[in-house]
Parts: sequence; C-alpha cells; structure tokens
Amino acid sequence: MDTLNILLMGFISVVLINNLVFTKFLGICPYLGVSGRIDMAFGMGMAVTFVVTLSGTLTWMIDNWILMKLGLEVTRYVCFILVIAGAVQLVEMYVRKFFPSLYDSFGIFLPLITTNCAILGLCLFLNLWMIESLLDAAVRSFGAGIGFTMAICIMAGIRENLNMADVPDCLKGAPITLITAGLLSLAFMGFAGMIR
Amino acid sequence: MILAAVFELWSSAWPAGLTMLGLGSGFAVVLLIASEKLKVEVDPKIEQIHGALPNLDCGACGFAGCGQYAKAILGNAELLGKCAPGGAETSAKIADILNLQVSDSGPPKRPIIHCRAHADDKTIYAIYQGIQSCTAANALPYVQACGFGCLSFGDCTRACKFDALHIVDGLSTVDYDKCTGCTACSKACPRHLIEMVPFRYENMMTVACSSKESGKSTRAFCKVGCIGCGLCVKQSELFKVEQNIARFDYAQYQMTEKEEAAMNKCPTKVIIYRGKTAPEPPQPRSRTAAATKA
Repeated sequence: MDTLNILLMGFISVVLINNLVFTKFLGICPYLGVSGRIDMAFGMGMAVTFVVTLSGTLTWMIDNWILMKLGLEVTRYVCFILVIAGAVQLVEMYVRKFFPSLYDSFGIFLPLITTNCAILGLCLFLNLWMIESLLDAAVRSFGAGIGFTMAICIMAGIRENLNMADVPDCLKGAPITLITAGLLSLAFMGFAGMIR
Repeated sequence: MILAAVFELWSSAWPAGLTMLGLGSGFAVVLLIASEKLKVEVDPKIEQIHGALPNLDCGACGFAGCGQYAKAILGNAELLGKCAPGGAETSAKIADILNLQVSDSGPPKRPIIHCRAHADDKTIYAIYQGIQSCTAANALPYVQACGFGCLSFGDCTRACKFDALHIVDGLSTVDYDKCTGCTACSKACPRHLIEMVPFRYENMMTVACSSKESGKSTRAFCKVGCIGCGLCVKQSELFKVEQNIARFDYAQYQMTEKEEAAMNKCPTKVIIYRGKTAPEPPQPRSRTAAATKA
C-alpha cells in the first residue's frame, strides 16, 4: 500500500505540481510549435510520452547501475543524450511504419524531440529528486510525458478557439500565444507546494 | 612529467570511454535490428521523380514542395507538367520514368506587367507613409492617382524566389533571363497587373496599362496610360478595346506588319515589347513635345 501511495503521489506530482512545461518551463519549443491543431498536438504528446518513458527509465538504470557504480557522474549528460537520441530514432521508425500521415504532418518536429529539453530535464530531475526505485522512476517518466501531453493539448484547444476570436491586431499570432501560455502556467503554479 | 600527466589522464579516462563505447554499440545494435524490422518500402520511382524535379520548392504546381508533388504525380499522371520552373524538359524526364508520353504543352509562360508608368509618369497626391507593401497600400483609395497601375512597393519582388523581379524607377520590371515562370508574382500582385503569357517569341507585344478609367481621366494622371482610343483596333484585329482599355489576344499571337503599325500609331505609346531583348520603349508624343519645349 505504501509503495502504491508513493507511486501515485509521484505521478500526480509530476503531472500537475511539477509539470515540466508549466512550472519548469522546459520543452517550450514543441509546446508552441506543434500546438496549432489538437490532433497533431495529441500525436506529439504521445510521441514525447513514449520517448520520455523509455529514456527516463533507461537513463535511471544507466545512472544508478553503471555511472554511479563507476563514479562516472560527469558523463551523465553525454550518456543521457545518447539514450534519448536512440529512443527518438526508434520512435521515428515506428511512426513512419505504422502512422505515415502522422509522420508527414510532424515533419521536422519528430527528430527534434531529441533536442526537446523536457526529456533531458526529466532524466536529470530523476536524479535530483533522488528517486530510489526503478518502478518509481518509470512511473514518474510516464507521468512527465502525460503532463506534457496535457499541457500541449490544453494549449492546442485554446489556440483553436483563439483562431476564431477577435484578437487586436497588435497581439495576433505569437504575442497572444505567449500571453496564453503565461496565464496557463500561472494557473498551474497554484498547485505549487501541495506535494513534493 | 608530461608523460605522467598523459598517463594519469588516460588511466582516469578509459572507464568513461569504455562505458560510452559499450552504451553506444548497445544502442547501435538495437537500432540496427529495429531498422530491419520496421523498414518502410518506398517506391523508388518517387525518389527518381524527386530527383528529376528542380528541387526549388516554389509551389507553382500547387503542392507544398517538390517532394509532395513527386508523390502526387505517381498517384495521378494528369498532374504531370505543372512544374513551371522545370518546364518541358522536366516533364519529359518524369514521363520517361513513368513510361508516359507528354503532349506538347506550348511555349513557356512568362509574366508580363500591364503597366509602364515609371515614377515620373505617375501623379501622386500625397506621400504614403504606411506599411511598405502593395497589399496594404492598395487598401487605401488614394495612394497614387491611378487606381490600376503598379504601386511599386514590391510585393512581387518579395514573392519572387529567383531574384527575377526588381522595382526599377517606380515600376516592377521582370528580368526575363532569371525568370522561371513560377507564377508567384502574378498571385502576389494585389492589382492583378501581372499576366502569365505564353512567350512564342523572345519578345512579346503587350498593352502595358490596366487603367479602366475613361480616356480623359487616364490622361489626366498618367502620361503613358491607355486612353482606349481604338486606333490599334483599326490596324489589327488582334486588339480589342473593352472598358476603356485595349487588350491583346495572345491565343492568336502572330507578328505581322499590322501589329507593328498599331504599335506605331498608338498615341500614348502604351503598346510596347516585353522580353529578353525588348527594345527601349518609345516615349509618348506628349512627353517628347514637352522635352523639346523645355
């Protein structure tokens, strides 16, 4: 029961309270770049979720079982990037094979998940939060992906409606998007401090 | 001492190097297996067609880029020949790949600008200081006296990807050596001055004016506008005057003496040649008279 509690709390924490986009301001590039339409935003969120779950779990294993044992913490960044790049390659092949239309509409944003700082950020946060079990790391990684998907889908929903709104000329396009992002993140900041 | 330092560096670096090598090769193996398992069969013809296209991604064909166009041709051969920059040569190459035969699509189309008023010829009531774009300026009623002529803020030059259009002394001018006929400029012009014309000859005759105002008012604000007098119609049946403006029938374009005569008769000299080696257009009578007076 205790383990389940920790896992649940960890999941909620990373989705709502420590949401990578809203409170850590990571992964802003795809968050603003692919949030034009809700179906594409959801696809992007799913791709990121897959990559972040895979790479978060793998990097936790590599970090705890290899790098820390050998005292090679300095190579953490390099190793993590290697893992993320590999995972993205895998996802790209998978999407290209099974979802060709999604692959076409992503364009350059799919390989760019490699440089999505939310993923590297999560891998490094796992160490910073001192996650002790593999299961907890996996759940939190998955949660981070779900948090990102939630953020980008909320944003896409708002932007779809913004297209029909009468926005003042000086705020059209990027400015209103950034203001929206700021207000959204302000709302989620309200959760701060509820759980660690 | 240097040797000792190098040795120390080596002894502390090799575990890191070895770990990276191990991890790297581990992932390489996984990706290799995945790439075999998840291979996507792409029709090699798409690659070939893509190779035959000019790869300019100009969008003249109506697709986002050459890649999408190549894919579309393979599905629907009727789309062949939409590549304006590539022209007949590219169409022939693609047809070769697809085992098809191309019908002759006629001479290549090039833009002609239906205005010949340079900065001196225009009447301007007030200096426009708004957004420097024809589309914006066209929304205002009196940026210049002529509501039909070239605004010269260069929307067409910005639309051109081939550096073939320039604003020369207040008039958009086509550099026919660089033009590929991609139609981007004719879509960009808010006043629809740019017509895509099949260039049968190196230089094409044209009525370089679009003013639908009556002859009197056109004369009042432009020295080189068409006044719709109809002298050209009397010389050649290829000319037609509709809505106070002479038009030229390009479908039956034939160069005969009659058209030359029409060109010489034109009082405002609005019938001129456009093309690679077009001669300097003659000056209208009113201006030459003014020059001699001065």
